[in-house]
Amino acid sequence: MKTYIKNLAVFVCICSVITLLLAATNFITAPVIEENQNAAANAALLQVMPEGKGFETADISTFSLPATVTEVHKETSGLGYVVKLTTAGYGSDFVIMCGVNSDGVVTGAVCLSSNETLSKEKTYGENFTDKDAAGVEAVDTISGATKTTEAYKNAVKDALNAAIILGGGSVDIRTEEEILADNLDAAFPAGEKAFEKLFMVDLIEGVDAVYEATNKAGYVFVSGEQFIGVNADGTVVTEGVTDTALYSDAVAAIKASTLEDIDISAYEGLEKTVVSAKKTASGNFVLETKGAGYGIKGGDEYHPASGEYIIVRVSVTPDFRIIDCLTVSEAETDGLGDACADESFYSQFVGKTDENYKEIDAISGATLTTNGYTQAIERAFSAITTMNGGAR
Amino acid sequence: MKEKSSVSVLLNGILKENPVLVLILGTCPTLATTTTVKGAVGMGLAAMCVLICSNVFISLLRKRIPESMRIPCYIVIIAGFVTIVKMIVQAYLPELYETLGVYLDLITVNCIILGRAEMFANKNPVVASALDGIGMGLGFTLALTMMSTIREVFGAGSFFGIEIPFMANYKIEFFTKAPGGLLVYGLLIAFIYAVTHGKAPLKKSFSCEGCPNAANCQGGSCSEKGDEN
Repeated sequence: MKTYIKNLAVFVCICSVITLLLAATNFITAPVIEENQNAAANAALLQVMPEGKGFETADISTFSLPATVTEVHKETSGLGYVVKLTTAGYGSDFVIMCGVNSDGVVTGAVCLSSNETLSKEKTYGENFTDKDAAGVEAVDTISGATKTTEAYKNAVKDALNAAIILGGGSVDIRTEEEILADNLDAAFPAGEKAFEKLFMVDLIEGVDAVYEATNKAGYVFVSGEQFIGVNADGTVVTEGVTDTALYSDAVAAIKASTLEDIDISAYEGLEKTVVSAKKTASGNFVLETKGAGYGIKGGDEYHPASGEYIIVRVSVTPDFRIIDCLTVSEAETDGLGDACADESFYSQFVGKTDENYKEIDAISGATLTTNGYTQAIERAFSAITTMNGGAR
Repeated sequence: MKEKSSVSVLLNGILKENPVLVLILGTCPTLATTTTVKGAVGMGLAAMCVLICSNVFISLLRKRIPESMRIPCYIVIIAGFVTIVKMIVQAYLPELYETLGVYLDLITVNCIILGRAEMFANKNPVVASALDGIGMGLGFTLALTMMSTIREVFGAGSFFGIEIPFMANYKIEFFTKAPGGLLVYGLLIAFIYAVTHGKAPLKKSFSCEGCPNAANCQGGSCSEKGDEN
């Protein structure tokens, strides 16, 4: 028993001495280790703000920042902010670190992690260095990596906006969709924030687009920057509108609008290129035509089924002026050709004629898709020519 | 005479009883950290620090540590010094800390350190134990440096991280892998054996007396078997 106690006492003494030595070493080295760890963490931040002296994590919970912003580090001497953002590229999310100084100028931007198919976005950030908001806007996207570089550019813009907000300023951080929704709601509150864009089959003077409230309470006419709300009975609800009769008549015309089916089988060869054809009371045509994009690699004759065609709905006046255009279906490459389903692409055809319909911005990196789309439009013009007995 | 004995103790670990190439101790960290000279030298020096400190501490307490408690006591002492060295390396040599990684912690269970505590420090005075720690540490560092030089020069075409112009074009990656490490290790052992004419491993000095089980078997059976062979 005595031996056990003696052994235990020796062991405890040794442990105590070692513990004291460890504590002393820790007392000396802990601050140095912490300093090293901070320096390592700051190294990433210094990449995008080389003149930064030190950084502290900012509390962003009380600010309404763009959704892409995940983390903000404030430069301790007031030089600016380093903003960490996560944005969706082509296929997956990627993380961007962007430094913004107190003058609203980008001090650097780097891509921290990415599974993107292209490697160009790794150095793409260099294009934003020393650029202000206008300069960032002017940076071109990379052909063949449009979606990725566009997302990158938007993230840098978000970083600039975040820096303004954190600095006490205000900035509109709404997306285009949010701005449109707000404008529609402001023009016609009775629509209860639920609207559907109408496919226009007749020309309405000065009107670019028409939205119908899903509760059928009325419409919103978009004319340039102006949004005009009109009740279902034709009463204009937006104040300051002078030509109220125009909108009342337009509502009446929309409600009275009927489409007459055209039997395309009556015309030789039309069934191969046209899915359906209709005619309005005013003589305009509404057609759905097929275009052979990238989804039809071998050409029409090898793929007679319409599943892989680009199906385009287009309304055209008898004198070949495009009233409205819409992509009904497509099977183009994700991230490239599928941009033909974006409104920003197909709305380019609105107002074009059979002479200038090819004067549009092609989809970057998807020439076959663009060609297939214009082919579908061309087929609409040809079908109208055929249905008109060859007159064009 | 005393001075000569001290020098002999110091030099013992470098060649005659080199812990890596003669005693074949610490094989795991030897193979793991010898892909680069920088890592190998760092590991060697870190182990040497622990070896010196633990040898001195154990030698100081050799008459106080109870026989039945010696292994737990040695482990506590060695683990304590390893942690101290680790904190110092982490604070002042962060790059080396990153390079050595988990192998720095594993010095605690390095056979060389426990082996020297058992074989030497608990039987010898403080100065001799310190010299043994220095000698063994230098022997360990030199062996690692030799091995890592061969592996880095031939395997990565560089030395101490600096690219060697000609060698960089003729890298033999095999040397940076585990089989390459074992091959170099074997060749170096053979080299030492040849240089010392096979006299380096003196059985009496460590094979039996130094065995942790020596107190139980009393050296009889091993010596007899050795004689038979």
